[in-house]
Amino acid sequence: MLDAEDIKVATFHSHYGAMMFHKRVAGSLLRPVPRSLSSSCGTAVFFSSPFSDECTDENTEAVYQKEGEIWRLIWKK
Amino acid sequence: MKLGEKQKLGLTGIAIGVIAVILVVLGNPKNMGFCIACFIRDTAGAMHMHTAPIVEYVRPEIIGIILGSFAISVISGDFRPKGGSSPVLRFVIGFIVMIGALVFLGCPLRMVLRLGGGDLNAFIGLLGFISGIAIGCVFLSNGFTLGKAAVQSRAEGAALSAVTTLLFILFIAAPSLFLFSETGPGSMHAPVAAALLAGLAVGIISERTRLCMAGGIRDIILVRDYTLIIGFAGIFIASLAGNLITGNFSLGFSGQPVAHSKHVWNFLGMLAVGLGSAMLGGCPLRQLILAGEGSSDSVMAVLGMLVGAAFAHNFSLASSADAGPGINGKIALVISIAVLLLIGIVVTLRERRKA
Repeated sequence: MLDAEDIKVATFHSHYGAMMFHKRVAGSLLRPVPRSLSSSCGTAVFFSSPFSDECTDENTEAVYQKEGEIWRLIWKK
Repeated sequence: MKLGEKQKLGLTGIAIGVIAVILVVLGNPKNMGFCIACFIRDTAGAMHMHTAPIVEYVRPEIIGIILGSFAISVISGDFRPKGGSSPVLRFVIGFIVMIGALVFLGCPLRMVLRLGGGDLNAFIGLLGFISGIAIGCVFLSNGFTLGKAAVQSRAEGAALSAVTTLLFILFIAAPSLFLFSETGPGSMHAPVAAALLAGLAVGIISERTRLCMAGGIRDIILVRDYTLIIGFAGIFIASLAGNLITGNFSLGFSGQPVAHSKHVWNFLGMLAVGLGSAMLGGCPLRQLILAGEGSSDSVMAVLGMLVGAAFAHNFSLASSADAGPGINGKIALVISIAVLLLIGIVVTLRERRKA
């Protein structure tokens, strides 16, 4: 489940990459990429647990932290 | 009042449905206010790429969609040229998507408009489309990807829009360069200005909302998200209402405009379109939008569709209204689906080995 005060979103180069990340991060959710982050319509992973580099792989594109109405980039490949 | 993503998609779908009905009233063929596949095919004919005399016309709607997406993406900052993600495979898949669409006689957008006109053959097509996307989702869930796209130059990203602008200038300034149908669907068209404005409007709103006929079904299957499907539903509801109001609604299988009732081939045609669209990451409309945003990968898919349309008519692969596909079209479609499955399996296995 997501903590409304601490929402992060990870974006990927492929749907499979999102699935793998989702499996590695407990309580995460697969959702379409937010429009404000990208004009592409790929799959993203929303999560609230602490972010670690170890959750990423070559398919992970970037990770953002929600701050009010904006997404702040906190990790990029 | 700030609209949410779902409201915007619903309004976008309704707007496209209404625009499509208006274009029919202004002269486009029935249930063909918009058809990305048919209009690319007509444009290919106008440019002498095929010589089927009834489907030749430079469709301003296609030009408008690309330029509308290009303009709004430049203004909004979405214009980010990128490419290099399996361009040849995208060309091949785009080619196959066009073969499937021309066996069915319409792209996914026209499939919905046909449903809104009461054409039940399109419901068979919808079942095929969903089946194709479902197969594509199996591939996607098991590792299928056409690979990462890399940043490209602005010239690369703007090339298709520049060529499209040149095409429109030549169409207006030197129409004798092109072929124009005197009978058949190609001879039926809305006034140029109305068609161009309609295309621009659809390009702009589709870019802003990411509307995609395949994406809605894909998102339901893959992530149980019902956002994108709202656009699909909006187009259906608006075209249904519009056709009822304008007297163009006719429920049934037979006697439908530019359609046939060969159910197996309607199903398989749209299966190829659904599977190909899932593999490309979007339906033919979405490929035009992404091409306008600067994706040279989507340009390759669009070029594949353009060449596929020419082949479809030069080699009698396209269906004819009422009679359906001939033997060439049936053989080509079966081979096309086999090729899509082969690409899906080979790429998926390769990605699994890498993982």
